[in-house]
Parts: sequence; C-alpha cells; structure tokens
Amino acid sequence: MTYAHDIHPAPTTFLTKYVFSYDHKVIAKQFLWYGIFFLGIGGMMALLIRWTLAFPGEPFPVIGPILFPHTNGVVPPDTYSMLFTLHGTIMIFFAITPILIGAFGNYCIPLMIGARDMAFPLLNLLSFHIAVLSAVLMLASLFLPLGGAAGGWTSYPTLSTLIGSPGAGQTLWCLSLFVLGVSSTMGAINYITTIIAFRAPGMGYFDMPLTIWGLWLTAILNALFIPVLGAGLLLLVFDRVFGTTFFLAGAAATTGGGDPILFQHVFWIFGHPEVYILILPAWGMVSDFLSFFSRKPAFAAKATALSMTAITVLSTLVYGHHMFTTQMSPLLTQTFMTLTMTISIPSAIFFANWLGTLWRGSISFDTPMIFALGVVFVFGLGGLTGLYLGAATTDFYLHDTYFVVGHFHYTMAASVLLGGFAGIYFWFPKMFGRMMNETLGKIHFWITMIGLNGVFFGMLVVGYAGMHRRLYNPFVYEFMQNLIPLNTFITWSALLMGFGQLPFLFNFIYSLWKGPIAVENPWQVGTLEWTLPSPPKTHNFDTIPTVKCGPHEFGNPLLKTGRDFQYQTEELVR
Amino acid sequence: MALMMQQFNFFLSQILFSQINVSEAPSIWSAFKRPIDISTYGHLSDWLFDYITVSITISFIFVCAGLFGFCYYYSAKRNKVPYYTYGYKKAHLKITLLIGLVVFFAIDSMIAGIANKDIKEVFWKFPTADENPLHVEIMAQQWMWNFRYEGSDKEFNTDDDITTNHILYVPKGRKIEYRVSSKDVIHSFYIPFIRNKVDAIPGRVTRLWVELTKTGTYDIGCAEMCGTAHYKMGAKLVVMEIEDFEKWQASANVLAKNGSDPSTVENYWGWKWEKQ
Repeated sequence: MTYAHDIHPAPTTFLTKYVFSYDHKVIAKQFLWYGIFFLGIGGMMALLIRWTLAFPGEPFPVIGPILFPHTNGVVPPDTYSMLFTLHGTIMIFFAITPILIGAFGNYCIPLMIGARDMAFPLLNLLSFHIAVLSAVLMLASLFLPLGGAAGGWTSYPTLSTLIGSPGAGQTLWCLSLFVLGVSSTMGAINYITTIIAFRAPGMGYFDMPLTIWGLWLTAILNALFIPVLGAGLLLLVFDRVFGTTFFLAGAAATTGGGDPILFQHVFWIFGHPEVYILILPAWGMVSDFLSFFSRKPAFAAKATALSMTAITVLSTLVYGHHMFTTQMSPLLTQTFMTLTMTISIPSAIFFANWLGTLWRGSISFDTPMIFALGVVFVFGLGGLTGLYLGAATTDFYLHDTYFVVGHFHYTMAASVLLGGFAGIYFWFPKMFGRMMNETLGKIHFWITMIGLNGVFFGMLVVGYAGMHRRLYNPFVYEFMQNLIPLNTFITWSALLMGFGQLPFLFNFIYSLWKGPIAVENPWQVGTLEWTLPSPPKTHNFDTIPTVKCGPHEFGNPLLKTGRDFQYQTEELVR
Repeated sequence: MALMMQQFNFFLSQILFSQINVSEAPSIWSAFKRPIDISTYGHLSDWLFDYITVSITISFIFVCAGLFGFCYYYSAKRNKVPYYTYGYKKAHLKITLLIGLVVFFAIDSMIAGIANKDIKEVFWKFPTADENPLHVEIMAQQWMWNFRYEGSDKEFNTDDDITTNHILYVPKGRKIEYRVSSKDVIHSFYIPFIRNKVDAIPGRVTRLWVELTKTGTYDIGCAEMCGTAHYKMGAKLVVMEIEDFEKWQASANVLAKNGSDPSTVENYWGWKWEKQ
C-alpha cells in the first residue's frame, strides 16, 4: 500500500505554502499559533478577573486606564461579566481546542500512523479557515454597542435570551460557536477517517501510540456531541432573533412556553463529554511520554487504551451531575450520581498504569517529562476533588461555588495546559527542526506549577468557605470578609503564573530561529515520526513504512543495535 | 403591604449595620473553614465532605508516593537499566483492575451510597402537614429576593399575605418549606449556613426544606449568574425564637391587611400552594 505520488503537489507560492496550505503539518502550525494567541488573550482576561476579585475598585495597573477610560482603569461590573464569559469561552474553544486537538491532532496523526496526509486535506484546510472566521465573529462582538456575551460560558437561558442579554453580542457568541462547531466537526471526521483508513500496514489499533488513542477518542466525542451543542445554540439564536420560545418560560413567555432547563440538558449532554474532549489528548500524550522518558514499555498499555475508551463511553452518561440543584427527579439525581462514581474505575486503572510505567524505569527529567509528571500530579488533585461534586449531598453546598471553579480548572485548565506544554516541548524539534532551551523550559515548568497550584488550590479553599461564583465583588457579603487575604493570595499566584509564561514565549520564539539544530530523533523514541528528518518533507514518507512492533519498545535486553529502543518499523527482538 | 416595609425599616437598619464590626484584617488561614452550620442537616454535608477529604487524601498520598518515590528511586542516575517487560502481562492487567475495583468499592460506592441515603431520607423528605411546617414562597427577580408568607387565612396570594424583600424572617426549631420560582432569569437560592441551595427557575417551582437551630442574622446569596448585579443579589436570613417569630407574624399580618391595596396587581405574584 505505497503511493506512487504525493497526495497533493508541493506548494510553490507563499500563499499556498503558508496560508491556504493542504499540508497537515502547516495547518497544525497555524492552529498552534492561533491557540497560543488566544491563550494570551484568555490569560490576560483571567488576570483582569483576578485583579478585580482581590482589589475591588482599584484600577488595573498599566493597561487598565487604556482599556477602561471611563472608570479610570477599574473594571466595571458589566465588563466583568463579559470578561469571565469570554475567558471561559476563549480558553476552551479558542485556546485549548486548537492547541491540543487542532495542532497536535493534525501534526501527530499522519506522522505517527505512517500516512502522507490526512484523509481529506481540503476539509482540513477549511476547518482552520472556518475557525478563523469563528474567531473574527467572537472578537467582533466585543466592539458592539452593548458589548460581548455576558451570561457565563454556559450561557443559560433565560439570561442568554433577550430577557437578560439584549445586545447582539450574545447572538454573535452563539453564531461564532456554531461556526466553530462546524470547523471542529470537519476536523473530527477527518481524524476518525484518517486513523481508521490510513494506518500504515501492520499497525493494529493497539500498535498505535496512546497519543493517537487519545486524539481518536476525542475526535469521536467531537463528532458525536459538537452537533448537539450546535443544535442548542441554533435554537437559542431562534429565540433571540425570530421570537420563538424554546427556552422561555414564566412571565416572559407571552406566546406558548418552553423550558430553560431544556437548554441545560442539551448543553451538558455536550458539555460533559467536552471536558473529556479536552483532556483525552493530554492523557494520551502523558501515557506515551511517561514511557518514553522512563525508557520502559508503558505499563499495561492495552488497559490504558481500554480504560480511556471506557471513560469516553461513560462521559456521555453522566452529564446530569451538573444539574443537581435544578431539582431533577430524585431517580435521575441518584442515577447520575451513581454513574458518575463509576468513572473512578477506569480513572484509577490508568493512574495505576502511569505509576506502573514509572516503576523500575530509568527516568530522565527532560522538559516534556516534567510537564507530563506535572499532569499526573494536578490531574490527581482535579480528578479526586470531583468526588465532592459528584455526590449530591456535598454538591448542594458546593455547586456554583469557587470549589467547582477550582476543580474544573485543575482538570481542564491545569492538566490540559501542562499536557499541551509537554507536547510543544516534545514535538517542537520535529515541527521546526530546532531544539528548545531546557533550562528555560524547567524554569517555565516550576513557575507555572507553583502559580497554578496557588491559584486553583486557593479556589478550592474559598469555595469550601462558601464563596460563590461569578461575583464582581464578593465582599459585599458579610460571611466572606475573611476571604479577602486568600483571594489576594490567589491573585498574586495568578500574576506569578502569568509572568511565568514569559520564559516560554521567549524560549519558543527564540528557538524558532536561534535554537540548536535538532537531530532526527533527539528523544530517542521509536514511533514513526522520529524516523523522518526534522522537519519532515511535505509528503512525510518516501515509502510508507511497515509497522512491526508497538510504540513503547524500550530497554529490551536482547537488543543488539546499540540503541535501547526499537523503531516501530523493526521486527521485535525476542 | 407596601406600608409594611417602612414599618420595618428600623428593624432592617438594626440588622444590617449591627453585625459588621470593622476589626483588624483577618488572617489568610481564617479562610480554611466553613461557615457555621445553623440547620439540622448541615452536618450531613459536612460529614460527607470530611469523609471524602480523608478518602481522597489517602488516595492522593498513594499517588504522590508513587510519583515522587519512583521519580527518586528510578531516576536515570540511580537506576541505569530499566526493567523490561514484553507485551501486556496478564498480571499487570489484574493488578490495575484490582486497584480500580478497590477504589470503586472502598471509596466511590461508599460515597454514592451515603449521598443516596441522604437524598432519600433527608433532602427529599419534605415535611408533612402534621409537622406544621412554615410555608414560604420565594420569587427571585433581577436582582432581589421576594418572600411571601400565608396570612391568617392559610392561603397564598390573598390580601393578608405578608411579603418582605431582602429579609427572610424565620423561626428556629420549626420546619420550613420554601417554594422557589423566578420572574425573569435563573437564580439560585443559596444559604451557605445550611449547606444547601436550589435554583429559582422561571416557569417552574422548586422546593427546599430546612429546620434551623441557631438564631441570628445570616447571609443569603444568589449562586447562579443572573446578570450584571448578580454579585449584589443578597438577602438576610433572620432566625428568631418561635415566640418572637409568631409575634412578628401577628403584627406583620395586621399591617399587611391594613396596607393591602387590591389595585396593585404586581403585589399578587404568589401562587396557590399545592400538595406535591
């Protein structure tokens, strides 16, 4: 099954090479830049939010007076709502999704399964440019007279209908996410098809690196559930623009009546899998990196893959735990609670496998590895704190408090961010042909790690003390007076974490041009992309490789090649 | 009804301003505690919280022991030759499956069982008529809480209903059932001191019951994002001894009857209290 010619001819002009490229590697880099850009914007928004919580009524330093001239640099309450709405939206849909799924999905899938490109290169090209259109719509909403969406990233009706959000910003928000959904669905279909149809000869599903497993499961969830979100958003747009009443009820529904809770069901049917959509690629990468840098086969890799699959299935059955306080019937509440708890079985299994991989390894602490180890730590905290929220008794108290915020930041923000950084440090040599600086990488890791634990653990604590979410100034409540110092501490941690990204940014941009030239296989790893030059040619493989062994063959004592690992193209020595 | 609020202005100011004592700044560690518990069931939530904390701390200690321990003992410097295993050993699968099941049965099913029991036996066991619960209807709106008590006719939405806003007067030691709804957007009726909350949803009536154990004035918050002034949508819960509450109720009832104005339609936002 070798191809006589390229899937598409090599580009010749600047436009076809860097802008409208069919090449999955170029599209991956486009998504990477896109994601990093929005990561910066979302991060700035986070700092504005944190500043307001720690120092209510004080102007934000330096850029505050430019952004909010009418209030001398103080974030106004309505802007505050927009900030946390867009912080959530941007981080989830415009930063994490493009980096983890757009960039690594596009880059790794063909290279790691031995294909010359994606199954549908045109769909791939369109998926990036539609994502750009979506970003334009989202950013445009900021310049409308009444500003952008301000109903929280969940945008529950009836707040997100005309009753609560009269401006066009909310409509643009819905349309932007709908368009982004189109882009994600295109990507997802492409990934699924490519992985099923384009695996190199000899590569069974369990010979795929676990990174590919994570990306594949993510793509399946994306293809199934992004359309559900799209449907909900479209109905919301109908309510806003055409006067339907799908989600209106009570006094506001003058003709007929719908149900605002319906939207919550639709949203969370999508929303809970979305959490796993974001984390699965990171889990896959971590599972691989732990093995790569321990120089030891991944412990029970089959079980890791299967438990990730089990989580994927379970994730579609538990969404009701987001809605305990809407008072669903007791039967539903109990069912969702019990199903939620079963997720712990596969989670415990792959945690055990991660530790099993480290056990008796020969661990070297390169930058990708310490980020991967960081994921194990923060995801441990994030996953375990989910137990409080899965149990209805404690959730009645903790729901919609900062405890929830801390929990989902540990799982969705901290773990995914660290996983994403691990991926960037790991594949940077392959992507750009140069090495990143190890020392700066380690500085970046430790500052980020200290900062993020200060922020997110602090959030868990203030939530435990009862502080609820999305408050412009929590200290109008008497019972939260004692939380001021801790909130200030969280903000300093957030600033530390924010400034901790500067070494990364410097390292990334500097290494693009001035980093030491990367060799073909700097990490001494046997997966298919490392058999290629760095960076690979446009059509990746001159001849399609034949896969003969799994991705984690390290430390085999029978190896006589002088290497401690095997390429996947080599017959297993036994 | 409108008159009533003015009559209670004095009371209101006393409550709102008496308790804020501007003392020295609190220490950062003072955040590491829950608000006090003033309900008969708050301890269930607290107990389960502590139970989970203990369970996950033990699990997390295992994770950290593995993570940091293995990183120390099996670093490339100390352990030059990694241990090689070909393929997928059955023993490995068994070990990980065992760990998964132990975690599930020892931790998660315990927690789910306890929480299921709490829901069935406490949170969803609404007071029956012979327990003589106090009925309160709550209407949330941007950005205010409206409270309504039945008058001496034991009927809601009649002329002698007592209505208050911003302040919820309740007795100690008597079960209270709230029925909650909303005029405009979704709000959430949240009292941190009873470890409970319930969403106020337009077009729906949700329920919450509580029996309070301590008198005093406590914060009520809106926990669901409801617009720009969401952060200010607080109210005060005033818990009184039963006798004091009945005295207040009697006088408020008289005031409500005298002050009621049938032409003000918006005062009749209540609904018929139906058995559920």
